[in-house]
Amino acid sequence: MNRRMGLIVLAAALLFAGAAWGQSVLVYGTTDKVTDMDPASAYDQHTWDIFQNIDKGLLSYEPGTDKVVPGLAQSYTVNKDGTEYTFKLRSGLKFTDGTPFTADTVKWSIDRVMALKGDPSWLVTQFVKEVQVVDPLTVKFVLTGPTPYFPTIVAGNPPYFPLSPNIYPVNKIVHDPTELVGGALVGLGPYKVTSFKRDEEVVLDANPGYYGKAPGVKRIIIRYFADATTMRLALEKGEIDLAYKSLNPSDISDLSKNAKLNTYKLAGPFIRYLCFECSQSVFQNKVLRQAIGALINRPEINQKVYLGQNLPLYSMVPVGMIYHSDDFKTTLGDGNVKLAEKLLASAGYSKDKPLTFDLWYTPSHYGDTEVNLGDVLKTELEKTPFVKVTVKSAEWATYKQQFHNKQMAAYLLGWYPDYVDPDDYTAAFAQTDGSAGEGIYFSSKTWDDLFVKEEQSLVPSVRAQVFKQIQKMWTDEAMTVPIFQGNLYIITRKNVTGVKIGPPLIFNYDELRFTK
Amino acid sequence: MRRILNYLLVRILLTIPMLFVLLTLVFVVLRVMPGDPVSAMLGGHAPEYVIDQKKAELGLNKPVFAQYVDYLGQLARGDLGRSMILQESVSTPIKERLPATIELTLCGLIVTLALGIPLGVRAARRRRTGQDFGIRLYANVVYCIPVFWMGLMLQMIFGVFLNLFPIAGRIGARVISSDFDRTGFYLIDTLLKGDIASFWDVLYHLILPAFTLGITLSGVFVRLTRANMLDVLKSDYVLASRARGVPERKVVYVHALRNALIPIVTMLGLQFSALLAGAILTETTFSWPGMGRLLLERIYLRDYPTIQGVIIVYALFVSLVSLIIDIVYAIIDPRVQL
Repeated sequence: MNRRMGLIVLAAALLFAGAAWGQSVLVYGTTDKVTDMDPASAYDQHTWDIFQNIDKGLLSYEPGTDKVVPGLAQSYTVNKDGTEYTFKLRSGLKFTDGTPFTADTVKWSIDRVMALKGDPSWLVTQFVKEVQVVDPLTVKFVLTGPTPYFPTIVAGNPPYFPLSPNIYPVNKIVHDPTELVGGALVGLGPYKVTSFKRDEEVVLDANPGYYGKAPGVKRIIIRYFADATTMRLALEKGEIDLAYKSLNPSDISDLSKNAKLNTYKLAGPFIRYLCFECSQSVFQNKVLRQAIGALINRPEINQKVYLGQNLPLYSMVPVGMIYHSDDFKTTLGDGNVKLAEKLLASAGYSKDKPLTFDLWYTPSHYGDTEVNLGDVLKTELEKTPFVKVTVKSAEWATYKQQFHNKQMAAYLLGWYPDYVDPDDYTAAFAQTDGSAGEGIYFSSKTWDDLFVKEEQSLVPSVRAQVFKQIQKMWTDEAMTVPIFQGNLYIITRKNVTGVKIGPPLIFNYDELRFTK
Repeated sequence: MRRILNYLLVRILLTIPMLFVLLTLVFVVLRVMPGDPVSAMLGGHAPEYVIDQKKAELGLNKPVFAQYVDYLGQLARGDLGRSMILQESVSTPIKERLPATIELTLCGLIVTLALGIPLGVRAARRRRTGQDFGIRLYANVVYCIPVFWMGLMLQMIFGVFLNLFPIAGRIGARVISSDFDRTGFYLIDTLLKGDIASFWDVLYHLILPAFTLGITLSGVFVRLTRANMLDVLKSDYVLASRARGVPERKVVYVHALRNALIPIVTMLGLQFSALLAGAILTETTFSWPGMGRLLLERIYLRDYPTIQGVIIVYALFVSLVSLIIDIVYAIIDPRVQL
């Protein structure tokens, strides 16, 4: 009898242990990919997500919000003219390799990013002139000019994250953790990387030395899927606990009806828009750009292509962000055929002499729905006989080359912010340099001056007035036409909670929890 | 023995011009294709001077012929080059991904032969019966089905509806491969580690992708085996064996099948490249982290060195298999002169 009881107790203990293990490991599926495991070079959302969780900035965001809170720095002060930010660092912190965290490591990391000139280095070099060590726990950032939104840049961008000088090489970008001293990524964040196999798995274990509260899940395994359909099936079968980026709209629609799953819809700062090449194509004429802008019917696109899962967008500044105003709605409207025909007629186009152009999309960068977006846009634009559209596509590599080379007159693009400020959604398209980078080639001194004014102003009312003006002027120039703002969908198993992603698009893995 | 060695040497030497032609073709096609790797890798903020700088760094500003000569020189030193996207040696991802593809391809081959040969023999033995008709129908149908569609159907039926098999990856989502990974061949690695649970898990994950590949190619082998068996079963020595009272099973599976296998082995060599091509699509369907997925991903990014490296490795692999097949061919058919 005793032996029997012993066996029962043992079985119960094993079951309990199994359940406990199951609760401490969360498997997260994605179709994204990791790029260079180096904040000096990585410039994509998923790799940044990983850095946000294995490292921290001097400042941080309160999970799920855009409120800047202390991070590795306890506090900061800014000088009167807004050109010097001095950060007081937390004491006693150590990287996971044991290297102490000091002002020297901050300076070393920023200098390294500036010297290596990786893709995201502009986020540092554009704003920071130099970093000075005041004392072991005080560091000063001397800026190139007044930057009122500098705290949001420090909080959200991995190029500002401190690295261990004992692990990262000073003069070389690291592509794979095997290139690091010791062969493993180290940081100061809530997790540490314990296994890294590109495109297969990344295993994150809780960092016992983290200064903040301990993560809700001890181990997170990130699994990489080749396509959204397979990821959806894996979620339905229970092989993964959470799927994030990117499921197809039809999958989201189906999965959100599944009682065994939770669907989290988050207002994302991701925007989509139509671009025009403004220097030599037929769209040099802004009246034509306005006409196309008037013909686009955003609610219809959202319904037909995205099953109502996104948000129609009437400004390049997304909904929910300061200074946003729906100027395209009030000025050009949706599917406004009458206005478009009037504008086209004024430019010399008619039924017999329609405006003919190619509309480009890429099937290999924005998901499977892109082909549908192209087709629906064509239908909308051809609601007037004044327009004839041919939809064309090119793979991302070709696409980028073509828009840089001014080979596409009208093309679809999307934007994830580098920092949470209207400046990032506007200057990148309408300031002379930024515009060329996006293949728009719009240039105007008036506009450039306005951007300089808002970038250097420390007075919120001045910036508000400038952005109001810029958004109004945008409907007149229409060098890009906003279409929709993407919502983010995270689908989890019923027992997973703590999904918090705020406007800065930071996914805090340490907030995730299992419920009983 | 010396004859075999001479033969091997000649075959290996013949591989060199074949590779040369192949890599020249790949090199030219990649450069003719629209799109360039620098545009693909740099973000929208990259100004013109950065793009030019990057092109110079990667040697893309040189004339194509100069790039080609550089590339040949590099290959002559046994260097496949560095990835333009990840700046790592091309051999690094190939070393990581090749075992996954070989494991999948070999398992697919086993399924192909395990289905194709017995069904072909059965159809020949039951010629013009319902069984023969059914097997021939199967062979035609599976031959026509695209491999990715077959994969999706098997995923839906056995993975989702019946919930019998996993639908993605090489191992369970909660199993960590670095715990046992040594050679990259997970079936072997798990056995070396003595981790039987993980071994079964790996095998379990192999079933659907291996059957996807195997079933699709089995049609060819069914038809080939049937046709050869029909010929062989009519031959005099089979008649003589039967007359001497040799059991039918032995006549068919020992005497007849061995002779019918000769053209099948030849076909095996030819079909191996088809199997590798099928693996590219199967790997995508099943999120299998192999060479096929690597190739596809890098084609999108115009990562020239990696694409070239993967194709060279594929070509070498096919040449090697074809060499092995020739040797096997000589062993099973003593009439063949090497």
